[in-house]
Amino acid sequence: MAIATQSRGGYLERPRPSGLADVIDVILDKGLVIDAYVRVSLIGIELLTIDARIVIASVDTYLRFAEAVNRLDIAHDDTQHGLPDLMESITSGGAESKTKGAIEGIKDKLTGDDDDDEDSGGQQSSGSRSRSRASSRSSSGSSRSSSGSSRSSRSSSGSSSSRSRSRKKSS
Amino acid sequence: MSDGPVYVYGVAAVAKTPLSVSTRGVEAARIRAIEDDGLLALISDVRGESLATAREVRAHWRVLDEASESATVLPVRFGTVLEDEDGVRARLLEPNAERLKELLRELDGRVQLTLKGDYDEQLLLRQVVEESDAVARLRDRVRSVPAEAAYYERIRLGEMVAAQVDQRRAEDTRMALETLEPLAVAAREEDATRPDAALSLSFLVDRDRVPQFNDGVRKLATRFGDRISLRYVGPLPPYSFADIQLDPEAVAWA
Repeated sequence: MAIATQSRGGYLERPRPSGLADVIDVILDKGLVIDAYVRVSLIGIELLTIDARIVIASVDTYLRFAEAVNRLDIAHDDTQHGLPDLMESITSGGAESKTKGAIEGIKDKLTGDDDDDEDSGGQQSSGSRSRSRASSRSSSGSSRSSSGSSRSSRSSSGSSSSRSRSRKKSS
Repeated sequence: MSDGPVYVYGVAAVAKTPLSVSTRGVEAARIRAIEDDGLLALISDVRGESLATAREVRAHWRVLDEASESATVLPVRFGTVLEDEDGVRARLLEPNAERLKELLRELDGRVQLTLKGDYDEQLLLRQVVEESDAVARLRDRVRSVPAEAAYYERIRLGEMVAAQVDQRRAEDTRMALETLEPLAVAAREEDATRPDAALSLSFLVDRDRVPQFNDGVRKLATRFGDRISLRYVGPLPPYSFADIQLDPEAVAWA
């Protein structure tokens, strides 16, 4: 059973059962890949894997960074504006209002049902952050999710594995 | 036994005690193992109607979790379906037998522990401004003129901040690796997914060294203090260390 702990202010809290949000990255992106397989393209799996991995690259992001540092002094008494806010707007982009309903729906799907409730308790800020990440990721996927087993062509998933750098030591 | 498409969860070595999994798989199907020359694949029948939900992702995860309690299992990536049992043998097990066996030996008795860190963005940006004169100067300039007049300077400012954040990310990742790599068999740097991500690392750790590794993580958390909040997940089956592309067809050896 996977457990997860979380540090706030420099210490790790006691272990707790982990929710799907904690492991979804590795489940979707890692593991053996069979080239000739059918990878079902539902919930926008492709999008879940490519999705919100917007690393700091675009002009848009630079501008947001600039705004964030400009706001710093004000932020003394109003600390709610910062990167998490920015992330929201970056990941959901211009279509924010349009996709809101879909986001809520997918959020329920991803984190709401059955035993995943167990991680809604002590997860605090970073929990809600990863939650909103999962939801905003899949929001873009919702528009193109289809149903039925699509015997789709090979997926592009091999690319993500090559991006993680191996730092293997002799064992 | 049925003859339809099957969903594949993972690969393990055949052992004296058969690997049985009681957790239901995707579409609530029963899990079974098929064998081929010392290897087994955990599979279930699949209709492919409802893989859309988080429930199916969770089923995949839980099945692998349970199987990994009693064996070393190489996880197959979520959503992998082959045409039938023969397909599992012909496309997965037979053509890759040597590679899979080698990987299983390598990962035997080892688990994956994953560590993610997020910056406290207020602390992070404040530090960037305080410690970089160039950023502080440009910020003062940008603030002294109307936003639309300083468009390119704002981009430049953001770019400088982003570069500083990248640098910190590299330093913090290095610090984490310095502390934890000696306690692990292997480490992998995962992609940073968000601007406020400080680090994202997966470690392969001998099962009996997990307590020492936990201590290492605790030490690291203390060193990072308020700057970085850590999320520590595991033990997991070695997803990130079985992250390879396999050959689909049998190679015809002469």
